[in-house]
Amino acid sequence: MSWPLKYRPKSLEEVINQEDVKSALREWMESWVKGKPQSKAVMLYGRPGAGKTTLAEALARDYQLELLEMNASDSRNLKDVRRIAEVGATQGSLFGVRGKLILMDEVDGVNAKADYGAIQAILELISNSKHPIVLTANDPWDPSLRELRNVVKMIEVKPLGKTALKKILRKVCEKEKLKCGEGALDFIAEISEGDARYAINSLQAIAQGYGEVNEETAKLILRRKEREYDPFETLRGIFWARYAWQAKEAVSSSHVDYEMLIRWISENIPVQMEGIEDIWRAYDALSRASIFLKRAKLSGWDLLTYTFDLMGPGVAMAEKGKSKGTWKAKWKKFQFPQYIQLMSKSRENRQVRDSILSKLGKATHTSYNKTLVDTLPFVRVLIERETDIGLALSQEELEYLKGEEKGSTSEARPYSRKRPRGKRS
Amino acid sequence: MSDALWVEKYRPRSLSDIVNQQEIVNRLKRFVEEKNMPHLLFAGPPGTGKTTAALALVRDLYGDNFRQYFLELNASDERGIDVIRNKVKEFARVSVMGNFRFKVILLDETDNMTSDAQQALRRIMELYTQSTRFILACNYLSKIIEPIQSRTALFRFYPLKKEDVISRLKFISEREGVEFDEQGLNTIYEVTGGDMRRSINLLQAASAYGRVSVETVYKVLGMVKPKAILEMINTALAGDFQKSREILRELLVKEGLSGEDLIKQIHRTLLSNDLQIPEELRVVLLDYIGEAEFRLLEGADDEIQLNSVLARMAIYGSKFLSGKQ
Repeated sequence: MSWPLKYRPKSLEEVINQEDVKSALREWMESWVKGKPQSKAVMLYGRPGAGKTTLAEALARDYQLELLEMNASDSRNLKDVRRIAEVGATQGSLFGVRGKLILMDEVDGVNAKADYGAIQAILELISNSKHPIVLTANDPWDPSLRELRNVVKMIEVKPLGKTALKKILRKVCEKEKLKCGEGALDFIAEISEGDARYAINSLQAIAQGYGEVNEETAKLILRRKEREYDPFETLRGIFWARYAWQAKEAVSSSHVDYEMLIRWISENIPVQMEGIEDIWRAYDALSRASIFLKRAKLSGWDLLTYTFDLMGPGVAMAEKGKSKGTWKAKWKKFQFPQYIQLMSKSRENRQVRDSILSKLGKATHTSYNKTLVDTLPFVRVLIERETDIGLALSQEELEYLKGEEKGSTSEARPYSRKRPRGKRS
Repeated sequence: MSDALWVEKYRPRSLSDIVNQQEIVNRLKRFVEEKNMPHLLFAGPPGTGKTTAALALVRDLYGDNFRQYFLELNASDERGIDVIRNKVKEFARVSVMGNFRFKVILLDETDNMTSDAQQALRRIMELYTQSTRFILACNYLSKIIEPIQSRTALFRFYPLKKEDVISRLKFISEREGVEFDEQGLNTIYEVTGGDMRRSINLLQAASAYGRVSVETVYKVLGMVKPKAILEMINTALAGDFQKSREILRELLVKEGLSGEDLIKQIHRTLLSNDLQIPEELRVVLLDYIGEAEFRLLEGADDEIQLNSVLARMAIYGSKFLSGKQ
């Protein structure tokens, strides 16, 4: 069970912070109890994970109301809302005298076309209802909600502060009997940016991946929640896809620039896959993707869709084990691509080499390729033996010839000439 | 100019200094006497004296100021026929002073041009035939289109004889005060197959380690081999994809190699004795390398395509090599 659900507060009392919201909700509910409702409906609005749905559910429990809920995953056309409205318009419950609380979750998710008439139906519901109604929204200022805004009481749910988030996390740790380092909780609270759901999900991810939550493991698998730029979500969508369409959707819905995404995928293929045949199929698909990208640039962007096909489904389905029911996504950290750094260094060194080759080639009347193969290796030997070869070589060029690396990448294992040759086993 | 490199220092300056290729030299000398020549086509393996003969010819024709009458182009370096056309146009436009009616353009590695580019070259040659003469150099005559062959005087360069190479190496060694033994020089000839450029480079590098002997020659040969490439291939074939990928990244970064450079080097290594694998595996890998290079030309990404090559090698390695060792 997902921890955010498991540890959802059961009463307003349990909800940490949000005192203003709690008292506003209580006041509103008291007005219903007294039979003189301030307003038929309230709209709780705020960023994801701030606790809107949680507050509504806690409210229902506190007043022992039956919760009638409709959320984003339900279809919300006129008929559906009307059915709820019919129930809502009747006094009392089918089983006894319990009152009801109607919760319309994520009303800003109502699609103006697909849910045609839904807003109108919600308006009707509000005006006819004999029960209190809670609406929630991330973005209450959506133009389609204008009429709704006029008939409800607006209550803002602010994102949770770091201290509040840490309190929540500590509670979960306690109940799960988890060892949680303070540093880890700090880090999770920091990157969650007020989103309790994200914070608890993160905690669960580390706990189930490593069994223990410390700062190191936290930093290993967690990244800041990035609304615009979250390659990790895309990568998960690709590597963990069981069906082609899932991988395709992950790619096409990604905000990550697709050229950059190719780098991310390339970096992570051998991390996420184990079988060498799988790895090869994945690289082969990705290589085809890069070809289609070039083709799209040359002959029309219609071809870009094949780039996406190959970098998404092409890579995802390279893992043959997925066809078996026993396949499971691996909890492996996604790595940042080193390519950019790698290639800029490569390009730098290539420029140095080319300038040497052009000097050598001119001096010895030979072409670039011949100089590279026939002259450069011998010149290296001469330089190593401190022989002056009489060309005006710069310090940089001499260093290149001596094979001295400037500022080698820390990740890269230094390649030593003296290392014994790789042997076949 | 670098005279510290012996290949250049001991390049014959005049046609009279060229001791071998006697028949060619005699024909070229006649052009000098007549102060006229047709377009020339020099065909022969690397290191047999094509560039040397061309340089000596223009020096004998024009004297020490030959550079103002002479343009050197490399078909494989100049990007495309348009660049060549512009350079030729620019060069031919300035009229010739003094006794000479024409200037000379040496175009090396003509056989690396596509046949379309060669067709264009033919038209350029005709267009400027009043003021310029071309010397086209190539390794393979068969790769030169017939219209060019029929418009040029052909000179075939043959591999140098063993005694010619050895005596030249001895001459250089004596001039440079380098000690050598006969066996060392023989070894140089054997491993270079008579390629004078490689022979002299090898001689100079070996002499940097003292006496030129079988030992020092092999020492240098060991150093100039692309070991990292070999190691990368062997590691991949042994099934360690991750490690071979690390070596690949080292090569990309440290050597500044491009994807195409790497593919070409892998290709050479696959055909060399340094790589000890079953012959049928060689062929299978060569085929895949060809596919990889084609994909790079089509626009595939360097690093990704090479990763795919390494993964493929790991697969083939386990198929062909497992249980054999």
